[in-house]
Amino acid sequence: MCNEDVLKELKILQEKYEEELRRILSKIPDAEKEYVTFSGLTVKPLYTPYDIAKTDFLQDISFPGQYPYTRSVFPAGYLSRRLNIRQVTGVGTAEETNKRWKFLLSHGASALSFVKDDGSGARADSDDERVKGLVGRCGVVLDTLYDYETLFDGIDMTKYPVHMITSTAYALACYLIIAEKRGIDFKKLRGSMSNWMRPENECIDMLEYCTRNVPLFNIGYLDMRNVREGGCTAAQEIAFGVATAMAGSDALIAKGIGIDDFLHRVTWFINSGPDFFEEAAKFRALRRVWARIFRERYNAKNPSSLLCRMHCQTFAPTLTKQQPFNNLIRSTIYALAAIMGGVQSLHVNSFDEALAIPTEFSALLSVRTQQIIDLETGVTDVIDPLGGSYYVEWLTNKLEEEAISIIDTIQSMGGAFKAWDWMCNEIRKAAMRSQEELDTGKRLLVGVNTLVDEDDIQTRALKVLDEHADFECISEYDPAVLDRQIARLNKVKKERDEVKLKRAMNVLLEVLRAGENMMPPLIEAVKCGMTQGEFAGLKSEAYNQAGEGPYLCSPPMTLA
Amino acid sequence: MEKELRFLLVRDDYYHQRGYWVIAGAMRDAGIEVILGGIQTPLETVETAVQEDVDIIGCRIMQGAPSIVIPVLFDKMKERGIGDVPVILGGIIPEKDERLLRELGVKDIFHPHTPLKTIAERVKAIGDDYKKRNPKTEEK
Repeated sequence: MCNEDVLKELKILQEKYEEELRRILSKIPDAEKEYVTFSGLTVKPLYTPYDIAKTDFLQDISFPGQYPYTRSVFPAGYLSRRLNIRQVTGVGTAEETNKRWKFLLSHGASALSFVKDDGSGARADSDDERVKGLVGRCGVVLDTLYDYETLFDGIDMTKYPVHMITSTAYALACYLIIAEKRGIDFKKLRGSMSNWMRPENECIDMLEYCTRNVPLFNIGYLDMRNVREGGCTAAQEIAFGVATAMAGSDALIAKGIGIDDFLHRVTWFINSGPDFFEEAAKFRALRRVWARIFRERYNAKNPSSLLCRMHCQTFAPTLTKQQPFNNLIRSTIYALAAIMGGVQSLHVNSFDEALAIPTEFSALLSVRTQQIIDLETGVTDVIDPLGGSYYVEWLTNKLEEEAISIIDTIQSMGGAFKAWDWMCNEIRKAAMRSQEELDTGKRLLVGVNTLVDEDDIQTRALKVLDEHADFECISEYDPAVLDRQIARLNKVKKERDEVKLKRAMNVLLEVLRAGENMMPPLIEAVKCGMTQGEFAGLKSEAYNQAGEGPYLCSPPMTLA
Repeated sequence: MEKELRFLLVRDDYYHQRGYWVIAGAMRDAGIEVILGGIQTPLETVETAVQEDVDIIGCRIMQGAPSIVIPVLFDKMKERGIGDVPVILGGIIPEKDERLLRELGVKDIFHPHTPLKTIAERVKAIGDDYKKRNPKTEEK
């Protein structure tokens, strides 16, 4: 960023400064230890222009909305597109989740998402013995189209972008049927789902179907948030996601679809964790890696293809059961890094994450966290406010460099779909390391391995609140959800035309066996009242899969 | 020679596997023989426990309601004649359920951030205690 002469002079001055710094630190006990980021990058006490000497403003940083999009994918950042406040929601039956959605919208949430109690679409229906205790617990239970219709009741799908946290084509079919019934043109229909890219027919069929028929629906997805949660580093989070997108792209290109026809409908789910600057830099590095890889290696020409858009959820493994209100502070800092890093959409974890499922009370605090950052702090008024910081630019470069190197390793193994097991192992190894660091005290966690309170006043306060509040303070599972859901399921089964259903399911089975696109016959079968469990049964039959646990066929492949 | 402790580890869903793998690795490193059960219903867990002749069962709870899943597990274990094999739990276990679960006979419950050493020590203590009370016959 400076000319040669200035750099030479700077180098001398910097060496002098570092010598002085070493002298000071040598007198302070433990100060000379190695400092590393949360992901293990070694950092120095100070960064100067010398550390980013090779960085070219126009080539590497540039303006918001301009290649390589380091600063923002949109020219005006949050000034033109406000942060989407999108809390994950999924409680009980569709009725309860619909109610929670309306509660969140009434308090200023600007986008919606639901998480299914079974994200897989492989599970048996709620009336099956195997799913006892799982129904409507960690998400909303959705067995049939009727459940999806109840969930979306009174929700304007054109006004509020809904994200479906599930990877099953059954959910997409329901979404499309509801939109069709409401007279929404598929060419204009927006929305998104967690169809993370993976080497499975269901994933690729949805990508292909939407590319051809529902062009604005964000059907491609990279769920690196949960992969990071699984233990990997920030650079791996970028690299595994980009490499997976490359593998998914290869699969679609092989089907005769052009890169620019679908890449702009691939979005990210990303984490924001404890290391403030590393995280903020990560979003910047990711945008640059994404744009460069797909322009340079895939020749993507549509500018929209190169825009890496992200929904972020804050990091959870550091949320503690001890001193639970501390989690509010943790998640606020993680959210701040995400917003400074320019994510499009955000979920802030609730403080009760290590205790139970969020309540209205705790979910509202998460909404308020985002609103306070957005409305009171001025952070969203300036685009990429950390851009130009020597440290952040250095970190951005470093993360890009590491990520590219990991991507190249994966490519040398034949791409992410072939390197899947290798990635899984890398993630598990990193998770072990991270737990060891916590256990040995190398990494500090307040309330857990430092500043432990024998008499935890916060836990006591929460208990008092729970005992005396006239609202639900700590969520409890309601076993009656099961009966309510079975009643809903029975209603569907009683009212449907079995002959018509059988016919539609047979057509679907043949298509699954032939390996043709499952979406058209799936939509027909769902319209006829086929349940999700029945769809899972057909997949098991067509693909010859035995299933495991509560799943009738193989659950989707995941990295973590 | 003393045979290694046989620890069956199961989980209740396909995602969010971090705890499952970290526990598996840590127990293996502590010299415990880990039988990776993967995703299992209570009925499947009991079958695996019988076939593998395990000394202790660990359930990673994420998706399921422990207050419902664990009583079913205990019922099935009794039916199959392994009602005395110790069961431990890990994950997000609501405090209100914890009392009930311990009363039911769950030997220990590990919340997030429990040091791995603590878990390994407890697994060994609980498993060894069971082994002592149920010495295995020669042909096994």
